[in-house]
Amino acid sequence: MINSANGMASGQGASSSSSAGAGAGTGANAPSPGLKTYFKTPEGRYKLHYEKGHPSGLMHYVQGKTVTQATLAHLKDRPSPPTPPAQSSSGFSASSGVRSAAARLLGGSNGSRALSFVGGNGGSKSISASSRLGSMGVSSSSNSTSTSNFDGRGTYLIFNMGDGLFISDLNSQDKEPMKAIYFNNVYPVCHAFDQDAKEGHDLVIGLSTGDVYSVSLRQQLQDSGKKLIGAQHYNKDGSVNGSRCTCIAWVPGGDGAFVVAHVDGNLYVYEKSKDGAGDSSFPAIKDQTQFSVAHARYSKSNPIARWHICQGSINSMVFSTDGAYLAAVGRDGYLRVFDYSKEQLICGGKSYYGALLCCAWSMDGKYILAGGEDDLVQVWSMEERKVVAWGEGHNSWVSGVAFDSYWSPPNADDTGESVMYRFGSVGQDTQLLLWDLELDEIVVPLRRPPGGSPTFSTGSQSAHWDSTPPVGILQPAPSMRDVPKLSPLVAHRVHTEPLSGLIFTQESVLTVCREGHTKVWMRPGVAESQASNVETVLSTSLKDKPPSTKVNYSGQAMTGTNGGFFHGSRIFGH
Amino acid sequence: MGAAGSKLEKALGDSFPEGERYFGLENFGNTCYCNSVLQALYFCVPFRDQLLDYYANNKSLGDEDNLLACLADLFTQISSQKKKTGVIAPKRFVQRLKKQNELFRSYMHQDAHEFLNFLLNEIVDTLEKEAQAAKNDQETSSPAEKTANGPKNAHANGGPKEQLDTWVHKNFQGILTNETRCLRCETVTARDETFFDLSLDIEQNSSITSCLKNFSSTETLNAEDKFFCDKCCSLQEAQKRMKIKKPPQILVIHLKRFKYIEQLGRYKKLSYRVVFPLELKLSNTVEDADSEYSLFAVVVHVGSGPNHGHYVSLVKSHNHWLFFDDENVEMIDESAVQTFFGSAQEYSSNTDHGYILFYERLGNGHMS
Repeated sequence: MINSANGMASGQGASSSSSAGAGAGTGANAPSPGLKTYFKTPEGRYKLHYEKGHPSGLMHYVQGKTVTQATLAHLKDRPSPPTPPAQSSSGFSASSGVRSAAARLLGGSNGSRALSFVGGNGGSKSISASSRLGSMGVSSSSNSTSTSNFDGRGTYLIFNMGDGLFISDLNSQDKEPMKAIYFNNVYPVCHAFDQDAKEGHDLVIGLSTGDVYSVSLRQQLQDSGKKLIGAQHYNKDGSVNGSRCTCIAWVPGGDGAFVVAHVDGNLYVYEKSKDGAGDSSFPAIKDQTQFSVAHARYSKSNPIARWHICQGSINSMVFSTDGAYLAAVGRDGYLRVFDYSKEQLICGGKSYYGALLCCAWSMDGKYILAGGEDDLVQVWSMEERKVVAWGEGHNSWVSGVAFDSYWSPPNADDTGESVMYRFGSVGQDTQLLLWDLELDEIVVPLRRPPGGSPTFSTGSQSAHWDSTPPVGILQPAPSMRDVPKLSPLVAHRVHTEPLSGLIFTQESVLTVCREGHTKVWMRPGVAESQASNVETVLSTSLKDKPPSTKVNYSGQAMTGTNGGFFHGSRIFGH
Repeated sequence: MGAAGSKLEKALGDSFPEGERYFGLENFGNTCYCNSVLQALYFCVPFRDQLLDYYANNKSLGDEDNLLACLADLFTQISSQKKKTGVIAPKRFVQRLKKQNELFRSYMHQDAHEFLNFLLNEIVDTLEKEAQAAKNDQETSSPAEKTANGPKNAHANGGPKEQLDTWVHKNFQGILTNETRCLRCETVTARDETFFDLSLDIEQNSSITSCLKNFSSTETLNAEDKFFCDKCCSLQEAQKRMKIKKPPQILVIHLKRFKYIEQLGRYKKLSYRVVFPLELKLSNTVEDADSEYSLFAVVVHVGSGPNHGHYVSLVKSHNHWLFFDDENVEMIDESAVQTFFGSAQEYSSNTDHGYILFYERLGNGHMS
């Protein structure tokens, strides 16, 4: 019994969730003993707003079979209105982390660097806020609304648990999901939503058997059954690859292409426009230790390509916001970064020790976070092609990392040449940690005389940050003393169970635990105002994200390779 | 059992490692604590090789009746089996063990960690005794006395200068430095102590890395627990911390899952979830270099209480993970190791918890 001892049993009280809106701590969600319902940051208190869980009747034998991943999906009105609201969409996945919405914003903001970095311009944000309020109004006043008269608009939390896939209205206080889809003795383990899908399927699901499905999220919500409907089935019965799926992601701007990573170190590229039953076979992998790409022999084949990435499991993979690069981490402890269209390994490096479990891109594509079994959060610089900082603060494995793209540095006018990032991490220690990364602080200690790091067998790159290693070279594990350390800004125990992911939204931080529970932590200033009126929220969100962001890029050399991150015209030129 | 053996052989197929033997050990009534540790030691290849060498070089051991001889005999029996898989009865070893130590006859003290400790120390004693006897033989050519406790005392009191560096030491021994800094005169007193394993306090939802960090964290000695500073010649407040001065070749980590609860007047099992990585580095060392280790065996305690339950072991051999449960041997997937981390909730149906971890040092070792 998982829910018995430690107060997670609040699931049984979900029926009384209507009063939860009164505020964190005082609502119906009885806090777990020893767990605070808020945490403090320099910008104010984050408050527990509500919790989301799986149906309380879920059989307990399925627990422990899978680890819950969560994806946020924003459904727009249908038919979708003309241009501006399209930019307001935001879709984030805690584990696969495909930030297609951000990519969207990059395109929408005419390639303006300063604006694109923080995730959007003021204009689109205010639209976003109002459309969100609309959906909030609907859901809070109609908790009992059945799915049959579902109006199709809103933000949904999609998560897996045991043999079920659940969909919850993020803006409703209901703890139990509005929709449950059961797969009967096979386990959905990963999923991703395509924010930019104009037609056809937008939700892909990977299973423990290796099977993959694509469906329309809207169609699932309109149906009242407990089965997946209108699904396209790929890798049927594991015919192409029978090993467990680990991670799935839409290719940003990829016209319905998506990639699926497996526990055996292979990744497959599929196209949703093609029949799932297309005959695909790939040649045997010659060298398990080497990266190799094989293409399907026939044009009708689906999957269309196989990437052999590493020996052992690919634990997570994420596209950069513009879709140009794919980062993957795995059992062998390496972070690998690929040029997606060139199908080429660009750079990467080893963890301090042990497997890496999660990774995430910064919105500007300059940094990658990775976390794993060494309890560290590593910050990888694309420019320097090496680890530039280690975040020390977790007491167990790091299972989820994400940049907070909605956060902007305080007193941005004064920061001068430095660039600041806020990011978060969650771990099996049940903690959420928030970190501030200020680049000036980090760069300085790295400029040390050569010869100081015996572990760098290749020598010079540890000393000079301008001498990046050649393409495709993987860095060995750095020595403990060679990497500058970061300390967390906040460390907060958020659940009683080990955590598996986190998602930043404009209003909140979502923490997801392995056993299917999600907590929604409202950002400072949002929780109170949300219940009151439109004006407040609107102004908050505007204040939250000033259109004229002060982040200064002049301090960072924009090299040729990095420039590509910002234009993204290859994909977002529409 | 023959069927089970062939099943394992089938599972391994062509990848069955050349010359390797996978044999289950028969249970003589509550001897799983012993079986699980024996399997972990058998698949500690440097230890096994040296034990087999020792046996080969001391043919007369067949008649010798001590634990070392019984263990060497058992390992030789396993490794020289014609069949690749099967079951062996460690009868002689268990009988000798029960004869030698009353603790292992009663049922309260069947602790795998105590057994491992006892066994390693017994082997060291025997080796030292033999070395002493050989030395005496050379010096006086008189027959060595076979008193059981003489050399033992020498080991305990004789100080490190007399201590023989046996192959058990070479494999398992590490050195800890206990640094105490007097808060009055700032003098640092360092005291070295050797260890065969590290016993770590555990916390709910933590990692081995974190437990090791706590183990080496600074502790303040004050109030009732002051430190006698030689320089100040008085009890003073002090700061103490443990560092690893010499990382062992085989790092054995014992998780303190059995905790004495005063109110209950008995031991309680902590089922905490403590994750252990397949690769580990020790960074709490005195030297700057990080020693890298790879996990090769886990002794698992099965059961909700300390006084009853079962022991099994997970072993990595030639890149395959195997599950040993007394006479049964199965192949398991590497990912199955994580089902032995423990439970995040106090009451859970999962009662199989990693208890003793065996890591082998990689690369620039100090062996031979």
